Amino acid sequence: MVLKQGGSQHGIARTSRVRTEAQKQQDLERIQKYRDLESHLRKLVSASDYSCDTFDLTTKLLKLNPEYYTAWNVRRRTLISGLFSRRSDGSSCWRGCSSSSRCDTTTTCSAASLSSSLTRILPSRAYQTTGRSGTTADQDVSDAATPNDTTTPTPEDEESQKKDSEIIKSELFFTIPLLLESPKCYWIWSYRLWILGQSVLLLPVPIAKKIWQEELGLASKMLAKDCRNFHAWGYRRHVVSRLESKELGGESLVESEFAYTDRMIRGDLSNFSAWHSRSKLIPRLLNERVAGEKERKGFLDAELNQIREALNVGPEDQSLWYYHQFLIDNLVSPVGRPTIVPTLTVEERVMYLTNEITEIKDLLEDYKDVKLIYEALLEYTLGLCQLIERKPEEDERQDLISWVKKLKELDPMRMGRWIDLERDSGLTELLPGWSGQPKHY
Amino acid sequence: MTDAFQQLPEELKLATSAHVKYIQSLNTRQDEYDYWLTEHLRLNGVYWGLTALHLLGVPEGLPRSETIDFVLSCQHEDGGFGAAPSHDAHMLSTVSAVQILAMIDAFDELETRGKGKAQVGKYIANLQNRQTGTFAGDEWGEEDTRFLYGAFNALSLLGLMHLIDVDKAVDYVAACANFDGGYGVCPGAESHSGQIFTCVASLTIAKRQDLIDKGRLGKWLSERQLPNGGLNGRPEKKEDVCYSWWVLSSLEMIGKTHWIDRDKLINFILQCQDTEKGGISDRPGDMVDVWHTLFGITGLSLMGYPGLELVDEVYCLPKLTITRIFGT
Repeated sequence: MVLKQGGSQHGIARTSRVRTEAQKQQDLERIQKYRDLESHLRKLVSASDYSCDTFDLTTKLLKLNPEYYTAWNVRRRTLISGLFSRRSDGSSCWRGCSSSSRCDTTTTCSAASLSSSLTRILPSRAYQTTGRSGTTADQDVSDAATPNDTTTPTPEDEESQKKDSEIIKSELFFTIPLLLESPKCYWIWSYRLWILGQSVLLLPVPIAKKIWQEELGLASKMLAKDCRNFHAWGYRRHVVSRLESKELGGESLVESEFAYTDRMIRGDLSNFSAWHSRSKLIPRLLNERVAGEKERKGFLDAELNQIREALNVGPEDQSLWYYHQFLIDNLVSPVGRPTIVPTLTVEERVMYLTNEITEIKDLLEDYKDVKLIYEALLEYTLGLCQLIERKPEEDERQDLISWVKKLKELDPMRMGRWIDLERDSGLTELLPGWSGQPKHY
Repeated sequence: MTDAFQQLPEELKLATSAHVKYIQSLNTRQDEYDYWLTEHLRLNGVYWGLTALHLLGVPEGLPRSETIDFVLSCQHEDGGFGAAPSHDAHMLSTVSAVQILAMIDAFDELETRGKGKAQVGKYIANLQNRQTGTFAGDEWGEEDTRFLYGAFNALSLLGLMHLIDVDKAVDYVAACANFDGGYGVCPGAESHSGQIFTCVASLTIAKRQDLIDKGRLGKWLSERQLPNGGLNGRPEKKEDVCYSWWVLSSLEMIGKTHWIDRDKLINFILQCQDTEKGGISDRPGDMVDVWHTLFGITGLSLMGYPGLELVDEVYCLPKLTITRIFGT
């Protein structure tokens, strides 16, 4: 049951499933062509033929069907078993391969005009360091090559590195039009990461690093096309962590990544992916800045101001409230736990929280029917009580009761939740009309 | 509830027989290009279709012995299964194979005619990253909490959980939790309903629900319901029938299914049916496929829709199968 959307239909309008004779004929021709390629590939693979012919066949098949994971695997095997120089017998089979991405990138990709910025990239021993037994292929390559050693390279070494670099670059080009066409296809992303991994195994660090750095450009391009694509966000995080690793020089990218979330948020306040990323970067960002208490407070104030301004214009936006909740979590979490400002006293936390509650109440003047406002008021007021370990005072209690009532009125779809909340917060006894029982069928 | 359903207009009732016919017709579409383009999902497709048929009350809807033959024809020497004969072994298709064999009570055939349970267990266990606890999908190393869940699902059905480091895997899942209560593909990744299902179900199989922030997660999950009744997968995204499974099963596992409006969700799923030709789509009026058909039906089953067999919220198999295997 696997979470996997390849092959399923998303967002395609339902049409009559009756095809015309001409359409049927056309389908049959396409099927024939596809199956011929497939059976040819299977024949070669069953004969353990990982030659250029096999490589070329995978190119053709993957352009027709990038979800064909076995074809990606065959492609990897052709690279490992001969095309990459470190494993080859010296014959430069690669140059004989007709259809590699070199042609693809100049033709297919030219329209996208991205190609120039997307030349090289690579993740390193991503898979190898996982230490799994299955990665024999990578292991073989690493056994055969010591690309990062300090001995002076021979002309042969240089020649083979050049060739490997060319293959890697070419493979990265090959996947670009496929990714643009199928930006949510797991197999393309994972193949691309594998290729990047090869760069670390096969090329000197500075070259490999450059390839990886340029990969950030690809991630940005893909996120510019769809700012919520979680494949692209995940890929970006992966690339960043490899670039920050010791192998590739180990420089922190936390400042530039944080700045990237700024840009993404400015482009679209509803981009929760960017807010999420921000929440993950902040602790490291402040640590690496060696921020003191004053700087940390200033940072928290700026974040709160920014999100409040956004809420002033978009209080219906869940993304904003989730990020606000993240900031509030930093205030109500136990004293001493690492947070944005770990040194805040309880009194200071209470002050911050009280201020937020007041500001949110002000929102009600302009927005009377936005349920997320009432929800936040409820949660934060309860959080405040929890922080100072007391029960709600009578006026607070009246507020809480009126907010729950409002939530039930504005958001009856989640009635069960409001009833539970009411019961769990001890607000029920004044409302005898509720049984407190969730609706069951 | 039953009364309420009897009053529904015809287009808002489950078109059971159309769906059965649709699923049974899937393997006869060999003159369609898509049939061939989706071969990499064939074994998964059999699982999706067969589970839907079981829930629709037609467990014999696909011929049993041919199904077993097909499943076994996808197995490799190392115990793993590919999506179809000549396709490489992968966690996703291996889990589907185990689920199918579980559903039709055919583990004995795996012993006598296949490579045996132990070999399947070994294949899966070898995909665990022993340093971090998570799992790869295959020998090429892509890691994802989907694969971790797949391993837990299949190995527990096979009674082979002892082959893996469960504690380490559990720690890994815990590290995938976000401040919003949800879980992602790996530590640091954004919460996503599909990954939440895999993580919550994994923790449930490992009997470690204590690690879940149920209040926070339940809040996030319940906010997936949109005014039209459908559920989305992340904040500010469109609704899609498949989340009727990922979100609802997660709510069910943490005991908070009543935090959303069931009637509205039932109506949304029913609106996505092709009542004439069968099948369910992502949204009303879109093309149907077997994947959305299954997850529409499992969603309805979780909500106790009349006439459907009950689905198990952890394994996505009929409750009857789970009871037979675990005896509870």
